[in-house]
Amino acid sequence: MRPTRRLLGVLLLVLLSAPSRASFAAEIPNVLVSRQLLAKAHLSVGDVVTLAADAGGARARQFRIAGVYEPTPDPLKFNVERLETRVHLDDLLELVADPNDPSTADAVSAINVLLTDSSKGTAFSRALAAKTPFLFAVPTRDSESSTFQVVDRFHTAIAVVTVVGSTAFLLALMVIRAEERKETVGILRLIGISRKTIMTEVVVEGLLVAIAGAAVGVLIAAGAQHAVNRFFQARYDTSLVFMRVSPGIALRSVAVAIPVGVVAGTVASWTLLRRKATSLVRR
Amino acid sequence: MTPLALAWRTARRYRARAVLAVIGVAVIGALNFDMLMLSRGLVLSFADLLNATNYNIRISGNSGLPLSRSPIDNAGTLMKQVAALPQIASVAVMRTASAALVEPSRRPQGVELVGSSDPSGLGVWRLLRGSNLDTASDGTAAQTAVVSQTLAERFSLAPGSTIHVRAGISGTMSALPPISLRIVGVGDFPFEPEESLVVATSMAGFARAHGGVVDDRAEFMFAASRPNVGVDAAVDAIDKLRPDIRAFSNEQLVANFARNAFTYFRQISVVLSTTTAVFSFLLVTTLLTVSVNQRLGEVAALRALGIRRRHIAATLLWEAVLLVGIGGTLALPLGQLLASILDGILRRMPGLPAGLHFFAFEPQSLVLHVLVLSATAIVAAAYPTWLAVRLPIAQTLRQEVVS
Repeated sequence: MRPTRRLLGVLLLVLLSAPSRASFAAEIPNVLVSRQLLAKAHLSVGDVVTLAADAGGARARQFRIAGVYEPTPDPLKFNVERLETRVHLDDLLELVADPNDPSTADAVSAINVLLTDSSKGTAFSRALAAKTPFLFAVPTRDSESSTFQVVDRFHTAIAVVTVVGSTAFLLALMVIRAEERKETVGILRLIGISRKTIMTEVVVEGLLVAIAGAAVGVLIAAGAQHAVNRFFQARYDTSLVFMRVSPGIALRSVAVAIPVGVVAGTVASWTLLRRKATSLVRR
Repeated sequence: MTPLALAWRTARRYRARAVLAVIGVAVIGALNFDMLMLSRGLVLSFADLLNATNYNIRISGNSGLPLSRSPIDNAGTLMKQVAALPQIASVAVMRTASAALVEPSRRPQGVELVGSSDPSGLGVWRLLRGSNLDTASDGTAAQTAVVSQTLAERFSLAPGSTIHVRAGISGTMSALPPISLRIVGVGDFPFEPEESLVVATSMAGFARAHGGVVDDRAEFMFAASRPNVGVDAAVDAIDKLRPDIRAFSNEQLVANFARNAFTYFRQISVVLSTTTAVFSFLLVTTLLTVSVNQRLGEVAALRALGIRRRHIAATLLWEAVLLVGIGGTLALPLGQLLASILDGILRRMPGLPAGLHFFAFEPQSLVLHVLVLSATAIVAAAYPTWLAVRLPIAQTLRQEVVS
């Protein structure tokens, strides 16, 4: 059995024994239990639990619950019930090692390395891979972000499509608004108001509508984030934050709205200004 | 003139706004269609992957996570026990190990070594060139191998080439001598991530790579139930053999997958399809309402001429149906195009099996798309219709004349 799977086996298997406390405290090694496991197995701090590497209870050992921890929110595990324990590495190796294979007592799933120069992560992983083909070093920055870069790109693509749809929406609205004021614009042009001034007015109107729309959108999102986070946090029993309207995102939304408003205003004013003033006031 | 003809004429008269509305609905409709395809895409794709193999039962260890179970101990004995069951037509086993490709004057390249008892690969690979594994080779000749397309391209390999593979021993830094494998085929490995470097060989080749000494374990065992026996009965029979194993039918695996894997995308698809439906509704309602407000005089004149309210309401409904219908129809090819782009983005996720897709078309998605858009058109037309049919004719005409 691979060490990772053994570890999972250990993490998922907790056999509760009699909750005698102080008398064992000195001899029994400590274990930390996740909040979720504590609740699910009806445990409490100070209880003595028995951990084993398999369901048959092979090489079972007793541990005393020294504390409870909230598992670090991990977006890759948000839909997995975090039934976990933390034991000292020596205790874990003793628990999972195969007595018939001494090498398993010195096997680990992963080693964390802190480099003196953190920018050399990729070079280090290449050098290690070249020397030892069965060891893989992955800079933690890469391993953490690669999945989320993909999800981020996916969300960006959806946002782009939404912006295209919104542009068409705003454009149609502005064209209708321009049509509505066809006669007014015709009269303005007949009394000498320049095309540039009229165009500026329509563009500014489009801009204001777009910015106001974006601002309302940001407000709705800011209001919704609490509900969304509460729902998903309760649904998956995690402290992970699923939605956060940051100032950067809010500014980006408004920044995207500006060209959308300008384009919509320009196109709408063009539908009026390309015609002669007399044709605009004709009934 | 029928309401449909009148609605068509109105759309043509206000061409620019009609075209823009259709574009808006098409774009948002495409996103909606994509979200419907996303909601079950992974599950359908996973089911397709499983069903593409010749085996309808997977057997694995009883512990671990649903999609990452522990290996099976005493696999050889279990294989014989499973094969002896009257409900089972065939059984095969698969093993995996880390290995390295060691070729002269090249750096060792880490690969995944797969050992298969089924020469055609249990559906783990789909042959692109060459042939499947040769089980007839004797103990002294080089064992055959099927390699992944990426490995073949990177090392310029083709059927007939020979490679040297050194198996890794888990938990130790020991090195076994490399063995020669003769490539007989190049294939796609849909269960492995894109660009994976995979070498698949027979179980004899796998054992030889490990110096002829391998523990009696297997990562997966595959079985096919007899056609005249239900798969559930076969699964039950296997489950009863030993307490440390668990058998799953393909359907059970798919159900597990639907419950546990990538639920985020199912949820985001629900949120986004709801949002896009609301967006489409707002778009069409606003456009129709503004359009009706602009044509109040026209509507009042039609009413004054004796056109019935029902006729006016039907015209407005047809206008909404035309905008949403044409936009929704255009949304289908646009949605397919967008889905392929979004799928391309998501499939860059590390570790994702190459054969898995996020977006999958099924008739149910199309039906839902049509239903959502139909509801949008009807609801969107409600308010402007109410405005038009309750219009005070004389007052409106007077206001229009005065203005």
